[in-house]
Amino acid sequence: MYKKFLSLTKSLTVSLEKGLNFLTTQEHNPLYFHGAMPLYCFWFLIFSGIMLWMYYIPTLDRAWSSVNYITSLPVVQQVVNKQGQTIWQTAAISEATGIPYGAVVRGIHRWGAAGMMITTLLHMFRVYFTDRHRSWRWLPWVSGVLLLVILLFTGITGYLLVWDARAYAMVVSTQAWLRAIPAIGGWMAEFFTGGDIRDYTLTRFLFFHVGGASFLFWLIWMHFIRLHEPVVTPSRATNFLTFGFILVAAGAIPAINVTEELIKQYPTLAAQKDFIASDAPAQIGMIVQNMRYDAWYMFPYYLIERLGPVLAWIILGGSTILLFVAPFYPKDRRDNIAEVLDAKCTGCTFCSLDCPFEAITMQERAPGSKFKLIAVVQAARCSECGICVGSCPFQAIDLPNTHSKTIEADVLALLKTGA
Amino acid sequence: MSEQVEKKPRVIIGFVCERSLPIDQMMDAQKALVDDPETKIIVLPCSGMVKPTQLELALANGANATFVCGCAMGDCHYRLGNVFIKERLEGERNPKLRKNTDKRRVGMFFVTIKDKQPFLEALAAFKDKVAEIG
Repeated sequence: MYKKFLSLTKSLTVSLEKGLNFLTTQEHNPLYFHGAMPLYCFWFLIFSGIMLWMYYIPTLDRAWSSVNYITSLPVVQQVVNKQGQTIWQTAAISEATGIPYGAVVRGIHRWGAAGMMITTLLHMFRVYFTDRHRSWRWLPWVSGVLLLVILLFTGITGYLLVWDARAYAMVVSTQAWLRAIPAIGGWMAEFFTGGDIRDYTLTRFLFFHVGGASFLFWLIWMHFIRLHEPVVTPSRATNFLTFGFILVAAGAIPAINVTEELIKQYPTLAAQKDFIASDAPAQIGMIVQNMRYDAWYMFPYYLIERLGPVLAWIILGGSTILLFVAPFYPKDRRDNIAEVLDAKCTGCTFCSLDCPFEAITMQERAPGSKFKLIAVVQAARCSECGICVGSCPFQAIDLPNTHSKTIEADVLALLKTGA
Repeated sequence: MSEQVEKKPRVIIGFVCERSLPIDQMMDAQKALVDDPETKIIVLPCSGMVKPTQLELALANGANATFVCGCAMGDCHYRLGNVFIKERLEGERNPKLRKNTDKRRVGMFFVTIKDKQPFLEALAAFKDKVAEIG
């Protein structure tokens, strides 16, 4: 039943990709670089993040204004001039106009973050729907789930750093959520802010955000450790397209802080408030009404607000656990694991270099042997694909149930019947 | 002379990845393609499993042509099988085809499981080219 579901999802995915191939060709189909796309977005986040970090001040009274200082973008708006004509005019939205294109850099950080989450989810669903998450692939999948959790954590702490009214509401919500954990919940809620909310709290959030991003790098290493030649860069055309999209989005709808005064002054900003703008500065004890939820990172808060902390734990925790155990069910019969013929193996390393899942290691032979090295298959990592068989020039590795001798006998038999 | 060539039955041996085409539905009991009985099929778990020596074996023992069919580039279930066999047949990765192998008679197709018809068309075009050689 479950396997039938997976084969149906695979069929649908292939149909979708075939349609996309028609538009993009196989070479540039972004769905064939689905794993490289989040990493590509991550580079934007790293570089724009370092630039934002240069001007960010993690104190209660300066955090919001330092972000505001960065995003002093001139806005274009319609005004009526002295002659009574309606004209387009450019005006700076904040008095401090210190960082040229700061709002675009922040926009790249914001849109890049959305891009990373969207492409990560696309990657996850693509891998799951094509049944490429199970068995010997458990480590990439499990590290991938961890990557998703840490990505969410890093994104959320990024929202806190702006320290606007919404960030404060999120802190209160997070503390309520953590307190719902039995026994250690109170301690965790305290740890999250470092006791009362003060300047150290934002320093802590900055550490969570930058530490989370650094931890992502370590997890990406874990994600790749069992993959030979992981695809880390999308095709050049896909790169330019993604870069162009992020840049256009960041230029057209830049991330800025929008206050009521600003809307009064520049009514065109009212529409943007619903998109990716931040609120007025946080005030301790003041919870924002009608919180705006960002779809990609703030859905946990939507659940916490609507369903309460306990149910939110059950839904989010339960789905995370399901994701963690997904690669271990259903189990396949594994009876075709590659076998090395000791007598024939010359230790040439071809199979070890070509194995897509790093299942073959080269080990030293006993002193005095004819050859120095021998290939050893680690059964748990073997996918039974036979790529090692194709790479061996010495007939020294084979799949027991799809043996190359049988294949060659079949070729000769088919030629006989055909002739 | 040309009549003799026409009369001589042609045999094409195809090494097909079981995930690249709905190959079970495309073969008859004699492992020939239903739509093209001259083409006999060897089914493998992945196109990366094909040894260049197996293609040479088929050509040396009377096959007019031989080909490998794998998944679309970028979509190998085992990640790199189609990339490796393509590089091998193009002489960029060891083990390669021998220098004296007639590479005009060695075909490559990389398709998705929904590409039965485009595959048959590409195969027909490949066979026409081989027929020109004789």
